[in-house]
Amino acid sequence: MNKNIIELQKINTIYEGETIPVIKDINLSVKTGEFICIIGPNGAGKTTLLETINGLLTYTGGKGFVFGKEISKNKTYISKNTGFLIQNFEIDPLAPFLCKDVVLMGLTGKKGLFRFNNKKDLEKVWYSMGLVGMIDFANRPIGKISGGEFQKILIARVLTQQPKLLLLDEPLSNLDYSSRHQIETLLNRLHEKYNLTILMVSHDLSFIPEKCGRILVIDKGKILMDGEKEEVLSSNNVKNILKNGGRK
Amino acid sequence: MIELPIGLILTSVIGAVLAGFACSIMGTFVVRMNLASIGYCMSHAAFAGAAFGLMIVIDPMFGALLFSFVTAFALGPIAEKAKLESNIVIGFLFSLMIALAFIFLNYVPGQSANAKALRILWGSILSVNNSDVFFLGLLSFVILVFIIVFYKELVSVMFHRKMAEASGVNTKIFFFAVLFLTGIAVSLSLRIVGGLLVFALIINPTSTAYQFFFDFKKILIFSPLIGVISCLVGYYLSLISDFPIGASIVIVSALFFAFAIVLSPKRKRKIFSLKKT
Repeated sequence: MNKNIIELQKINTIYEGETIPVIKDINLSVKTGEFICIIGPNGAGKTTLLETINGLLTYTGGKGFVFGKEISKNKTYISKNTGFLIQNFEIDPLAPFLCKDVVLMGLTGKKGLFRFNNKKDLEKVWYSMGLVGMIDFANRPIGKISGGEFQKILIARVLTQQPKLLLLDEPLSNLDYSSRHQIETLLNRLHEKYNLTILMVSHDLSFIPEKCGRILVIDKGKILMDGEKEEVLSSNNVKNILKNGGRK
Repeated sequence: MIELPIGLILTSVIGAVLAGFACSIMGTFVVRMNLASIGYCMSHAAFAGAAFGLMIVIDPMFGALLFSFVTAFALGPIAEKAKLESNIVIGFLFSLMIALAFIFLNYVPGQSANAKALRILWGSILSVNNSDVFFLGLLSFVILVFIIVFYKELVSVMFHRKMAEASGVNTKIFFFAVLFLTGIAVSLSLRIVGGLLVFALIINPTSTAYQFFFDFKKILIFSPLIGVISCLVGYYLSLISDFPIGASIVIVSALFFAFAIVLSPKRKRKIFSLKKT
């Protein structure tokens, strides 16, 4: 039987200066190798949940474990071993970074201080860029590529970490159909090939990759539904939540 | 051309080269972090420090360095604690320092005190002594070692702080270190180019290098190179034309920037894209 890679027990996260938790009493168990999609309307708490799992945000109640280690005491270990793709952000077109350098940055935390990048690290970069089909873009400036290409470079960046767990925050948003399809195919392939545990946030039911086996529906900081993909997608409730949801 | 003793020329040239190096290499980070106003802030901290020195009757330069160091040290933690953009905190400290300077000057008798404190804002390379050169040399060495040892962390933070943090980099310490070292570079360069003109040494060489490269490593190499060349050419220009040295350095670095805009391959869309594909 697979061990739980994530175990959250009654987790609450409150932002500094606020009194209402963004996620409330979240209980969640994720087994190694699961591909889970987290869906919910804007402001439901999806990103907060991912950031709490990664340790970027400190939970204010409950207990959380990732890789069997308590999140609050092992933030650095967890973030080094978790590939976290943050929500789509804009990059300055003149940003002075080449695509290969951005991918190499994925290794920075894992390598630790006082260790220089070496030939093996560069091999990891080429390998990750090969996985996402972006080797030809290695020497292109990061600000000069399209949204879909940028997203693939960021995925290559998290893959260089050789993570045990992938946390993807809306990796398919703001992409055209073709780029979305390419990234979906890539995620399906990665999950199958490396038995990667993937938690992927989406706010749209049409963005659920084929290999995703389980869906969590979140609204107003609570998990409203948690079940197999077909079961959740066939429920009328989901559409209502996505249509009428959102924190008030 | 002005006739100067060779010892004085040597000390001031080395001082100018080191100031050019330290300011423009830190400028690479300052420009990327969009913190250009740090130059104003630090120079006015020095101004307030000089006024403080005059008020309590100690060397105004010592007061200037003390205030600059404290401001450089406080900048990062205040920005972090207040959850504000560093530029906002720089603005806050800038205005605070001017206010303090006026209060201190109010307690110093005589008009000459104002002129002494204001001298910090203008600087004079000919007043550079061996200890200035020593400290600038030491700072340049520390900056160089810091960048070489922590290059991968720094470049990661410069690209995107949150992504760096998400992959396990302690971004806060590097962010603070960059602000602190920039503050110190500005403080130690004050006597050479002056507080107001040191700003140009931080911004111009990096902005020039940005016109040519998309690679952060190349900008890190060429920015200090341009900074040093600007200082040397500016110094020579000052000797042959009798212009103030600080102003000459700024004119030269601004000319480099103007040429870079005209010659930049980033402006030549077709040639650039053909090369890349």
